[in-house]
Amino acid sequence: MTSPVVDIRFEDVRLAWPSKAGQPTVALHRMRCAIPAGKVTAIIGPSGCGKSTMLQLARGFLDPSAGEIRFVDRRSGQSAPRPPMATVWQGFNLFPWLTVLDNVAFGLEMGGMPKAERHERAREALAKVDLKGFESKYPRQLSGGMRQRVGIARALVMKPEVLLLDEPFGALDAQTRLVLQEQVAGIVEETGATVLLITHSIEEAILLADTIFVMTARPGRIAREIEVELPKPRTLADLKRPEAAALFEEIYDLLRGEVIRAMTSEGGAQ
Amino acid sequence: MVGETDMANAAPSTAAVQAAAPRRSTLRAALDDHRVVGWGFLLALLAVWEFVVIQAQISPLYLPRPTRVVAVLWQNLAEGGLSTDLGLTLYRIFAGFLIALVTGVLLGVWMAVSKPVKAMADILIAALYPLPKVTLIPLLVIWLGTGGPFMLTISFMGAFFPIVINTVVGVQQCEPGLVLAARDLGANLRQIVLRVLIPSAVPSIFAGIRIGLGISIILVVAAEMVVARDGLGARLFVAGQLLDTELVFAVLLVLAVLGILITKGQDLIDARLGLWRTS
Repeated sequence: MTSPVVDIRFEDVRLAWPSKAGQPTVALHRMRCAIPAGKVTAIIGPSGCGKSTMLQLARGFLDPSAGEIRFVDRRSGQSAPRPPMATVWQGFNLFPWLTVLDNVAFGLEMGGMPKAERHERAREALAKVDLKGFESKYPRQLSGGMRQRVGIARALVMKPEVLLLDEPFGALDAQTRLVLQEQVAGIVEETGATVLLITHSIEEAILLADTIFVMTARPGRIAREIEVELPKPRTLADLKRPEAAALFEEIYDLLRGEVIRAMTSEGGAQ
Repeated sequence: MVGETDMANAAPSTAAVQAAAPRRSTLRAALDDHRVVGWGFLLALLAVWEFVVIQAQISPLYLPRPTRVVAVLWQNLAEGGLSTDLGLTLYRIFAGFLIALVTGVLLGVWMAVSKPVKAMADILIAALYPLPKVTLIPLLVIWLGTGGPFMLTISFMGAFFPIVINTVVGVQQCEPGLVLAARDLGANLRQIVLRVLIPSAVPSIFAGIRIGLGISIILVVAAEMVVARDGLGARLFVAGQLLDTELVFAVLLVLAVLGILITKGQDLIDARLGLWRTS
């Protein structure tokens, strides 16, 4: 795949919902950031800070109340159309009535690809996530970690320029998460896609990301932008290195303050 | 792996029970089997019935012997035209039911995705659904006579409402994440309806079918009893008028077996739908 060239820019994006109490609920306020093409950007922040909202905005499933999401070709600096995107969901969102193979081939089928070809591609994608031999199983017959690998294959098979990972390991148990994080680090590195990772795991962000955006509590803004300069692809062992430990400290201190602020302001509002 | 753990749990527990009672008699084993007990009880009941009728010399006018009922049933099926009546009744039930299935699912999906359609249909359904459908028989006879169209309508009305309502509920309960995932994978509105909303409503639609088919059967047989000259209901009614109690029992037996077959068929389909239910 040719490497992606379109940056995603949030330009003074505001997202607010009208609420019954009169005061609108502000999820994002004057959000400004750039998600560079071909890099892995992680967004980390306290619960309810609008992380997943950013992903929905980037995907075009939500429209900003003010400001705009721009796609910019970094070679020309001109606006570009939205690049092809695919999402991996926290809740997997696999279709329970379809086999693993048909789940992975679903997007290709929607695009009108003939059966033989889409099944062929789906098989390749499944092999990439080590699920060869599970093609004719149904999602409920698989463990959580396997289901999420189906979810990853289903996104990868679309050959997206932008891969959106919405807390992809959030619903998994701790051991499965560790193994899958490492695997995904390798897969992501291989595709070369632009990746936007939403997470609340600091380790996960350090393991996968080139850049980490730490967000404030609602209304969400970027509190700090942190470059991760450890060599890639990283393994769990890399997390023990002193640079990683220092990063962890830095992010944890920021988050701790924000989480406490979020908790107390929630308490104040009620 | 849910399936595997289930099997893994089931296997050792049966083994443990067998180890605990190594020399269990075949009788005990048979008594553990649900079906053996059920059928055995039924046969015993029939035997007592047969015995009591013979001993007490009860007139077949009041209570015929089971063996006589079966003999009469056989005779009527073979030469008395009961098979024609059965075929006619089945045709009436299923023709109306199938129309109700197709239109009910279509309207249900349309209601679930369009607010104005739902608002309009809700009012009509709220007015018509609670009405006992048998009460419509006189009106329908005035409009349609007592022939095919009448029977089709009565059977349709029985199945339509439960199917519509269950389809709406099923579509509305569709996991929003699945719709998002389908959009993410490039599905358009038509594809979302056909490939996500309807499949995810299938278990609920089948619940509607279960209820609807049951009501259709009741309505068709009741309507046959009231107005028809043929069909199982008419046969039953005429047999009652002529005090042909044996034939009354024979028709009831046919209806009971029909009910069992339909229920079992639905159970089979339901078992296959298991994979929809848990995700």
